[in-house]
Order: sequence, then C-alpha cells, then structure tokens
Amino acid sequence: MKFKMKIRNMSRYFIKILLVLIFSLPLSSQNDINKNSNDSLVFKEKYGLRLGLDLSKLGKSAFETNYTGFEINGDYRITKRLYISSDLGFENKKTNTDYLSSSASGGYLKAGIDFNLYNNWVGMENLIFSGLRLGISNFTQKRIQYNIYDTFNQTWGQIENQQSIDYNDMTSSWIELLFGVKTEILNNLFLGFNIQLKVRMTEIVPNNFENIYIPGFGRTYDSTKIGTGLNYSISYLIPLVKKVSEKSK
Amino acid sequence: MKKILLFYLFISLACCEPDDICSESTLTTPRLVIEFFDIENLNDTKTVPGLFAVALDEQGLEIPIIGESVNSRDRIELPLNGNFDQSKFKLYKNYDINDGIVQGNPDVITVNYTTEAIYVSRACGYKNNYYLNEFNVDSDIDLWIVLSELSNNEVQNENTKHVQIFH
Repeated sequence: MKFKMKIRNMSRYFIKILLVLIFSLPLSSQNDINKNSNDSLVFKEKYGLRLGLDLSKLGKSAFETNYTGFEINGDYRITKRLYISSDLGFENKKTNTDYLSSSASGGYLKAGIDFNLYNNWVGMENLIFSGLRLGISNFTQKRIQYNIYDTFNQTWGQIENQQSIDYNDMTSSWIELLFGVKTEILNNLFLGFNIQLKVRMTEIVPNNFENIYIPGFGRTYDSTKIGTGLNYSISYLIPLVKKVSEKSK
Repeated sequence: MKKILLFYLFISLACCEPDDICSESTLTTPRLVIEFFDIENLNDTKTVPGLFAVALDEQGLEIPIIGESVNSRDRIELPLNGNFDQSKFKLYKNYDINDGIVQGNPDVITVNYTTEAIYVSRACGYKNNYYLNEFNVDSDIDLWIVLSELSNNEVQNENTKHVQIFH
C-alpha cells in the first residue's frame, strides 16, 4: 500500500516537472531574446476588433445528431495586455438517459476580459491568455419522455410517460474562467483554443424537473455547480489603431 | 505563470465525474408496506405463518410478485400499479402447494390511491409516490384478516408502515 502510494506520488511529481518544462521552454527562450533585442527599431502593435467563429460547435453540430450550436466571439484590445471580450451563441442539445429524455434550447451571452500572459517577440502578436466572463443564458428546457424508475416494476410493467412539457423562459448565470491561446497564422487571421471552467451562480429551476443542459454553460451535474467547456475558434483582427510597442521605445 | 498553467490543467482534468448511473442508495419508487398486528394485543406485531402474496390484475388474474416467497413474517412490501389508481392483491396465510393444489387461506385486499411522479435526478429520472385513499379487505366466508387500517397515507419510502392488519 505504502509502496503504491510512493509510486503514485513519484509519477505525479514527474508529470508536474514535465508540464513545467513544456510550458517554461518557449517562455524562457523568449525572455532571453527580448533582453538581447535591438531597441533601435520602432515596432507598432495592432489594436482593433477581432471577430471569430467557434469551429468546435460547428463540428459538433455536423457530427452529433443530438446537438446544434453556433457561437461568435469578439474581442477589443484596450491596453497592451488587456482585451474586452464577448461571446454570443445558440445551442440546442438533446440528452437521453435510460429513464429520461430531454432537450434544452436557447441563446447565451458571455462578456468579460482576456489578459495576455505571453511576452511576444517584437513584432508578433500571439496570445496565451487567461480570461474571466460573466455568462447569461435564456432558454427552454423540454422534458420529452420518461420511464418511472421502479426497481419492482416486473409485476405491473414499466410505466412510460410520453407527455412532453416545455419549460419556457428559464434563465441561468455563471462565472467563467478561461485559459487559452490565440496564434496569428496569417496576417490578422488567428486560430485559437481555450478551455473554460464555470461556476453556476443563479438558475431558474423548472418545477418538478431540473435543467439538464444550459446553453452556454453546458451539461449540469447533480453534485456540483461546476461546468466545463471548450472553444476552438478562427478569428480575424480588424486593425483600427496602431500603437508603438512599449518594448521598442 | 507556470503555477497558473498547472492550476488550469489540473482543474480541467480532475473535475467532474459522470453521474449518469442511478445509484442503488437513491430513494426511488417505494412499495406499500403492510405490518401485521395481534388482534388481541393491538400494539404488538404478530407473525403470519406461511405468508405469501400475489398481485391481481383487472380481470382478477394472478400476477407473480418478483422476490416474493412463502415466509412467516409480520411485514410485507407490495409494489403498487402506477398505471391505475387501484391495486389488488391476494394475501395467503398458511400458503402451501400440495400435489399442484394451492392450499392456505387467501384474503383479497384492494388499495385505492392517487399517484404522483416526482423528479429524482438526471440518471434516475422520475419516481412515483402514492397517496393512499382507501384500504379494503374483500369479504369472503373465511377471512383471516380481522381488522385493517391506514396508518400512513403517504407512500414515500419503505421505512414506515402504511397499513396495519390485525389478525
């Protein structure tokens, strides 16, 4: 038992070291170059509106029969590191379990900030960022069908209820922490990826039912108010202003 | 910076185990609990020798109750029919099968109730709870049940008795 624990601890330790190494490599090499960079050139950084489309939701819509979703993203750079950011989307998700079939459909809006943690090479404008959002959703929760859960139903048979009910005007709000990257693959064109950790703050719960899925928030869990999400996006930066990079002054 | 990265990775990987299986400890559709008492001493439970129960459908045909066996006891649990507001059962005393012939004393009981579907969870879906309106013993020439009464109208769990039978 103790030996097993030891091995587990050791492997954890190694994984941690590995992760630290992976993430510190590009960062540290970055810093070295910045120190040696020539300051005589003047570089300008682009400030503007970046508009994007979530490809993961489009992909899921194409390949999953029970899902339709669409999300656009926008951010606007206000300082060297800070962006105001917003996501607007729509989701329709059907959830089937052995005893219950339901669907949720509605729109959501997320607004907040992104903070760039990455020290770019001079002239480059990639992001490794952390973000914070407040999300709100307005949706319809629909109970499609259920079978009464009865472990002694062999005598009288299973009881099914096909009476579908729409619970309209459900709302929910949540706080979201994001972490992700955005890389400029062509001039002004970015590919981005981020993961989201969400904590549900408020929700209207349907009478004698619950919100199985909340558009924008994702599936709910019985035991916790936490949810997760991801975004894989392509976006285009419309440069509005060019400012002299602080680094090159 | 590195700490933040690790923190995010850790949380994104560690969080959220699936809860899509209805656990056995969850309180779902309960059965009707009947306890048997001594007619001569109303506060004391009294064992019914060779107690056995079968369900009766609307035509009066017998339906076996899974898990039910001939057993001397002072308590029995019966599944109610959630499709109707009435269930009938045959309760045998001294049940036995001799050369293919059923022996013992059957009394027919009728339970009237209203059914309510109550949401449990995403994995368990809905359960039924029952509100008992009436409990009757059909008359016959040789009743072993002397007296019966509802002691708890709400069938929400199997921890307490819902019906008392005196014999």
